[in-house]
Amino acid sequence: MKPPPFDYFAPQTLEEVLQLLEQYGDDAKVLAGGQSLIPTMNFRLAQPAVLIDLNGIRELADIQESDEEITVGAMTRQRMLEKSVIIREKTPLIFETIPHIAHVQIRNRGTVGGNLAHADPASELPAVMVTLNATFKLQSLKSERWVSASDFFQGMYMTALQPEEILTEVRIPVQAVTGLYGFEEVARRHGDYALAGVSVLVHLDENQNCEDVRITYFSVGEAPVPAHNAVQFLTGQPLEDEIISEAAELAANNDIDPHDDIHASAKYRRHLAKILTIRALQKAKNRNKPN
Amino acid sequence: MSKWKPLEKMKILGKKYPRIDGAEKVTGRARYTYDQFKEGMLYGAILGSRYPAAKIVKIDDSMVWSLPGVKAVLTDVHPTGRVRYVGEEIAAVAATTPEILGEALRLFRVEYEKLPFTLYLEEAMKDEAPRVFPRRSNVNKPRIREEGNVEQGFAQAEVVLEDTFRTQVQIQTPLESHGSMVYWDGDELIIYDSTQAVHGVREGIAKMLDMPLHKVRVICHHMGGGFGSKLQPGIYTVIAARLAKQANAPVRLMLDRQLEFLTTGNRPDSLSRIKMGAKRDGTITAFFAKTYGTAGIGNGAGVRLPIVYSIPNVRHEHHDVYTNAGAARPFRAPGCPQASFAMEQMMDEMAEKLGMDPLQFRLKNDSNPTRQKEWMIGAERFGWHRRKVTPASDPGPIKRGMGLGASIWWPGGRGTKASMKIYSDGSVEVFCGTQDLGTGTRTHIAAVAAEELGLELKQIKVHIGDSNYPRSGASGGSTTSPSVAPAIKNTAEKARQELGKILAEHWNVSPEAIIFSDGYVIASGEAKQRLSWKEACGLLETDVLEVHGEWSEGLSSSGVAGCQFAEVEVDTDTGKIRVLRIVAVADCGLILDRLTTESQVNGGIIQGISYALFEERLFDPQTGAMVNPNFETYKIVGTMETPEIEVILFDEPERGVIGIGEPPTIPTSGAIANAVYNAIGVRIKSLPMTPDKVLQALANQKA
Ligand SMILES: Cc1cc2nc3c(=O)[nH]c(=O)nc-3n(C[C@H](O)[C@H](O)[C@H](O)COP(=O)(O)OP(=O)(O)OC[C@H]3O[C@@H](n4cnc5c(N)ncnc54)[C@H](O)[C@@H]3O)c2cc1C
Repeated sequence: MKPPPFDYFAPQTLEEVLQLLEQYGDDAKVLAGGQSLIPTMNFRLAQPAVLIDLNGIRELADIQESDEEITVGAMTRQRMLEKSVIIREKTPLIFETIPHIAHVQIRNRGTVGGNLAHADPASELPAVMVTLNATFKLQSLKSERWVSASDFFQGMYMTALQPEEILTEVRIPVQAVTGLYGFEEVARRHGDYALAGVSVLVHLDENQNCEDVRITYFSVGEAPVPAHNAVQFLTGQPLEDEIISEAAELAANNDIDPHDDIHASAKYRRHLAKILTIRALQKAKNRNKPN
Repeated sequence: MSKWKPLEKMKILGKKYPRIDGAEKVTGRARYTYDQFKEGMLYGAILGSRYPAAKIVKIDDSMVWSLPGVKAVLTDVHPTGRVRYVGEEIAAVAATTPEILGEALRLFRVEYEKLPFTLYLEEAMKDEAPRVFPRRSNVNKPRIREEGNVEQGFAQAEVVLEDTFRTQVQIQTPLESHGSMVYWDGDELIIYDSTQAVHGVREGIAKMLDMPLHKVRVICHHMGGGFGSKLQPGIYTVIAARLAKQANAPVRLMLDRQLEFLTTGNRPDSLSRIKMGAKRDGTITAFFAKTYGTAGIGNGAGVRLPIVYSIPNVRHEHHDVYTNAGAARPFRAPGCPQASFAMEQMMDEMAEKLGMDPLQFRLKNDSNPTRQKEWMIGAERFGWHRRKVTPASDPGPIKRGMGLGASIWWPGGRGTKASMKIYSDGSVEVFCGTQDLGTGTRTHIAAVAAEELGLELKQIKVHIGDSNYPRSGASGGSTTSPSVAPAIKNTAEKARQELGKILAEHWNVSPEAIIFSDGYVIASGEAKQRLSWKEACGLLETDVLEVHGEWSEGLSSSGVAGCQFAEVEVDTDTGKIRVLRIVAVADCGLILDRLTTESQVNGGIIQGISYALFEERLFDPQTGAMVNPNFETYKIVGTMETPEIEVILFDEPERGVIGIGEPPTIPTSGAIANAVYNAIGVRIKSLPMTPDKVLQALANQKA
């Protein structure tokens, strides 16, 4: 299938992009890696009249670090994250996540911004960004604002982005060295969207009890799903096997709202969420080796 | 009767050598039907029915014509106007660019009168199910096969087991979809088709268009797979020809992936109720099966039970069941994987009941002498002795298991004709109206000719895939190699004889003294004369020596045995099955090329794993539309899920050439299912073995 006709712009500056968006608004879509947008256009699920190509905007494609945070430009390819020493050392959770996103060929084109803006509920990065407390910079011609990852994702393919806005930058707090983390997912085949998955980040207090816990699921709801009940339960408790199992049970029963689709039943997803939570928390716990 | 020379004397056959068109393929120079282009060519597309059962009341194409670039439209594509499955061809359009087609298809205004439909095997079998054909029951009359006396057989049995197994519909999914590029040259029709049968398509299309054979030519240089789905002439070809006539321009019409899934065939599903009896000593005495399968609106959903094993008393009743889905077509070993999945599990259940090792139980009931040897070779290589006797005995949630299964195949192949031209500069051309589906036929032809003429592969130019060349049959049923290789040998032999005569005269020796070897023509014995191939050909008086040959007896045979061993790992928490290793033993008579032979076995196994764990056609029960007609959601095994596969080719060169493309896909799903049982202690009796089925089975066992 081929897409219906559209107008195509290839601006060279961010300013031009924002102007075009101001002009065309809802009729326009920005093109990043095209790995999600082009197929949806070919299947005619999306029929933008105007395509604004972001690939000419060089300044949007880099990774920088400061003491507290890492800044990732929206046009940074997923493959660049995977190969970045900064990411590997400062946010190992992201580093562990990337290989689960599609295949190398797709990650070569697919961007961080495109992945987040697309807001597929089965996507890994959105959940990980919520877990890491990342913030997103949304820019339009007239304004610029910062939105936290948890406010950004609003539903299936729905975000806080306004038609004339784009996501330009993601700021991720550096993972504290003491942060224990884990990432787990189950997909039918390598590179498939997950049937269910979870990312966790845990800080322990001096008594080895959980004091800051973040657990976020993907592919079990309309958007990244934080495990409020489980987190509350875990806080103040040690990461012991029984407690982990109980937390996982709680999350699977009370925190998530999976549904049936052709790939898996809601029931199966709930079961997976439990198993994966246990595995991710165990992984986190096992990193707590005194050096 | 002809004979092949002994394997030790062969320079090419039986060895490993790369395909002669490999470089062409990997560099993209090979032109498939999809790549055919002609000046002024239009792009064609078919509009398929939206509904699984409906009367077409009216098709209004006025809006389609209003779209700039539309050059031809057909609204009378369907013969009766009563459609029976989603995707069934009802209209078609040709336009100047493929981009226009998407829009054009949406502009047909079709008025349907929707009718009730039925999608699933067991629902279609119910009395109250809507009928697919108004005057026929959905459940066809039984086909019954009977050998011996089952009542007596069961009376002799000391242990009787009953069980039920189900398999799903699998789609052939060749990478190149079905389609043709056609043009009219006056009143002659030239068709580039992605096909397994250039001659068959020519005959079929000539009949469908009521044209004489000599006015239809079918060409297929390179082909992106078919697996049985491309044996017949396509409606799309007739449509393309009509569009081309209407627009007076060449038309290329390749199906999109969705229509490919819906309309070009599949492996039918199956429901097998089996009863089997055996004596305590492990002899199977009786086998009874009642099976059902749906080939959509077509027939041919047979389940080839009891497939491999020798059982004296057998009764098998089979019913084809109609449903509102595209008709099945042959698919790599038709009827066999379904049967094998059920039978191999039944065999293991019985072995367990009798307290026998599954391998011993098979040896006891397998009368094929080749397979008797293969079982032992495979077991040794695989390490069958390490199999856990008690299922599910691994500690922890991740458990491993081992299983096995047998393969078999029947038909041979005959009838191919070929011709050869040898030019005075030493060039050699072979012509044969067969086709290369990707199995390596082009390379095999060069190999046989080179072997006979004492030349190298690269000295032979092979012309295939054209109905202008001497007739060869369809490439189906693993018949191509046994049909083609003898014909090429026979043709090359004749060429050798003709050339031999000339040289014998030249040297004044007897023709029997002439030998062709290593690029030379030699007069053996006293004469001690020798000429290079090129010099020898220079003696031809005319520019070209042309000979015709054909298949001859004694160079090929039929009947294949084989077996496979699988090791799996099952995550009992997530239900995911991972195949760790497959060892396959396949007998193949005289091997033409070890690389392409191994490749066939690998491919069959990969398709078998895909069948076992992933592939499944899913419908929306409300609308009757397939919900996953694409490569994203119709899951086909990927490279990361493909395990280490070890192929052991069991040479039997004295049997001549045998086709082996189909048998390797037969036993894989059954072997995996048995390995899963060995790992977790519960049987998964329906395909595909998805994670949720595994968990469900484990939960049922606990309950
Ligand atoms: C076979 C396959 C498997 C895949 N598997 C996975 C997987 O397992 N996990 C996963 O997470 N993803 C998966 N993907 C999706 C992949 O990660 C995509 O690349 C990603 O979702 C979109 O990124 P992109 O840069 O290609 O964006 P595009 O496709 O170019 O754009 C996607 C959407 O985001 C909008 N957009 C893009 N950039 C911006 C921006 N800066 N600001 C505002 N809006 C923007 C576009 O307008 C469009 O609506 C898969 C894709 C394929 C084809």
